[in-house]
Amino acid sequence: MRRFQDHNPIVVFVYFLLVTVVCVLCMTPTVTLISLAGAVILDSVVSEKRGIGKHLRMLLIFFLLSLLNPFLYHNGVTVLFVLNDNPITLEALLYGVCAALMVISVLYWFRSFSVIMTEDRLLYVFGVFSPKLALLFSMTLRYIPLFSKQAKRINNVQKALGLYKEDNAIDSIRGGVRIFSALMTWGLENGIITADSMAARGYGVRKRTFFTIWKFGGRDLMLLLTELVLGGIVFAGRVLKAVYFSFYPAFESAKPSPLGIAAITGYALLVLLPTIIDIYEALRWKYLTSKI
Amino acid sequence: MEILNVKNLGFTYAGAASKALTDISFTVNKGDLVLMLGATGSGKSTLLRLLKREVAPQGAFEGTVTFDGKNFSQMTDLEGASRIGFVCQQPEQQIVCDKVWHELAFGLENLGCPSSEIRKRVSEMAAYFGIEEWFMRSTAELSGGEKQLLNLASVMVMQPDIILLDEPTAQLDPIAASSFITSITKLNREFGTTVIVVEHHLEELLPEATSLLALKDGRIQFSGSVSGVIKNMSDDRDILPSLPAAVRLFPASCPLTVADARRLIADNYKNTTASLNAPGYSHSDSIALEFSHVYFRYEKNLPDVLSDLSLTVFENEIFCLLGGNGSGKTTLLSAAAGLVRPFDGVIRLFGKKIKDYKGQELRNSCVAYLPQDVQTLFLRNTVREELHGADLSQFPFDLSHLMDRHPYDLSGGEQELLALALVLSQHPRILLADEPTKGLDALNKDRITGIFKDLRSKGITVVIVTHDTEFAAKTADRCALLFRGEIMSEGTPREFFGSNAFYTTPASRMTRGIYKNAVTVEDVSELLRINGRRS
Repeated sequence: MRRFQDHNPIVVFVYFLLVTVVCVLCMTPTVTLISLAGAVILDSVVSEKRGIGKHLRMLLIFFLLSLLNPFLYHNGVTVLFVLNDNPITLEALLYGVCAALMVISVLYWFRSFSVIMTEDRLLYVFGVFSPKLALLFSMTLRYIPLFSKQAKRINNVQKALGLYKEDNAIDSIRGGVRIFSALMTWGLENGIITADSMAARGYGVRKRTFFTIWKFGGRDLMLLLTELVLGGIVFAGRVLKAVYFSFYPAFESAKPSPLGIAAITGYALLVLLPTIIDIYEALRWKYLTSKI
Repeated sequence: MEILNVKNLGFTYAGAASKALTDISFTVNKGDLVLMLGATGSGKSTLLRLLKREVAPQGAFEGTVTFDGKNFSQMTDLEGASRIGFVCQQPEQQIVCDKVWHELAFGLENLGCPSSEIRKRVSEMAAYFGIEEWFMRSTAELSGGEKQLLNLASVMVMQPDIILLDEPTAQLDPIAASSFITSITKLNREFGTTVIVVEHHLEELLPEATSLLALKDGRIQFSGSVSGVIKNMSDDRDILPSLPAAVRLFPASCPLTVADARRLIADNYKNTTASLNAPGYSHSDSIALEFSHVYFRYEKNLPDVLSDLSLTVFENEIFCLLGGNGSGKTTLLSAAAGLVRPFDGVIRLFGKKIKDYKGQELRNSCVAYLPQDVQTLFLRNTVREELHGADLSQFPFDLSHLMDRHPYDLSGGEQELLALALVLSQHPRILLADEPTKGLDALNKDRITGIFKDLRSKGITVVIVTHDTEFAAKTADRCALLFRGEIMSEGTPREFFGSNAFYTTPASRMTRGIYKNAVTVEDVSELLRINGRRS
């Protein structure tokens, strides 16, 4: 069973790039709503965190952002009411709502992105562009747990030495500084060993190649092409103003056209692509196992 | 066939007045396993590093090194990096990347190998070393033994002709150490990979070595076949103590394994006197440390690390706690030092519950904790600053010649002493030491034994956690075995090791069924002297 996220990380990366860029560039009520729907669905599929808390936080962000705009901008022809001599307009309100929807949908996309694009997937994407950057990234990822473990050890040992009292704020700051400086010395001293180990294995001898456990197969290519074609249609619609919405001074929307409909359908397909793949694969799996 | 030829090699460290190595000449043949011996500071590591250009120290070099018929200076960088492999002591710090598979590929990436070639070689290597199961894991999650095996594999993946190993098992527990050594001897036997190794863990390595190289003060003292060298140095005080128990007992006939030594004793010596008259051990009546029914776990959903643990250590005794990895030894010490709190049960120090000690009462003049990683104790730039005005004469060892050095520049043994000085400055009544002999050679271990006995004579109780059965047998007044968070057996070293069949000292394994309660080499040689040879 090959889920969406099991495809080559570049394909996955390009996917997230496309959906978010489209969502930001074509801010029309339809596109934003589709984007949000897709983002929430994907989040509910991939996220390990269940519960309503994260959605409530998003809702809060949504209300804050959407109400901010009509109170700051007073463009628009349809005045709803006047507050402190300032007109509050329907256009500004809708713009605020739309922008807020766009922001939270991007936030939802990022959420799924951070779950799906694990460190090693990101590393691979970097590595394709720059093997050096990828190595730096990999070494950094390695040093974080190493340092935090050592910091804990040093802290414990210093505590056992009785160097600071736990109930004294100044003392514990001093203790923190001491641990930090000890950690730096330790890091530098031990960095020499790492440097030796790198040199011993020929670091800098030749131009580095980049090895990865990821492959780029036929299905990756198919998925990538699908993404690009769908994304291309949406962009064409945007550039040719077949997908278009203007808020100020009065609402103005693109007239329904074949390209416009194609672009919207294309975006809806793009947004649902991971879910479609996952459902298809799940069904196929069920079918296969039922045959056995 | 000759692969490495070293001729009249001499070396002076940059800025040093005297030579670190003088007139070193030897040859290594393809497929040899050369074991390098010598006391700390004899120049073993320097010599080994000089044979790997990329990690060679700075300084003035003389003489010639020829590798596979080619002068060292004519070798290309590519050859130097790939044909000579190097693994050093620290498992953790040698690892460069965050994922196991990436670490394996690191060297080949450096050499500019194409991806398909790397894929093939990496998977081959992972399968050979049994790394497949943790191939996708983060390197930070591995155990020490796994890390060191990964370091070896990531060197072997470059297919070197010769590998240089600088005390590769010094930081590992005995089980991981012997499995690492098995990997090395297997590589040597199955692929004819030439190996030069500096090592203290000799029991498994000595029978496999094809030749020995003994260094003293930067010169080659002995070199040649294993039995030849050992017979020559039978009265050498520097190197002999570091050899396995069997060899120490019979340097002249040189049995390399416990089984050989056993045969030698059974065939040649009488056993009319089966055991030594050991004076009975009497401990003090007052209790220094007491655990009663202690339970501890690190997190709610994790299993108990200490479970129903009860233990009594009396005042003024040296108590050694033995046990495998994950048996809870270090946790027990942390609990005794008040660093972690059990969720059930009571720990008492000198009759008073740990939680009843207020403020710094526990830390000052009560309990001191010597950690396994002594570098965690060092905060300053010189030994003098570390000790800031402590009275040096209170320590049963001498640090005065090291006062202006950086703590990180000291040798392993010296670091251990500095750490000991730091924790003793708290004037403890009880000292808790976590693996104080890790990475030390035999001479330094004996020194630590002496120091602990000295401390005991000054009225300090010492609790030691160790893997080292020989050290425990020599040092302890009482020993205990910790297994899955519980004490399984305890007694004086003679009772404890004498009754254990597997978890015991080499001397005891050698004499099991022939003599009773002979747990150290000294015990055995005393018994052999009393009994005399069969006529």
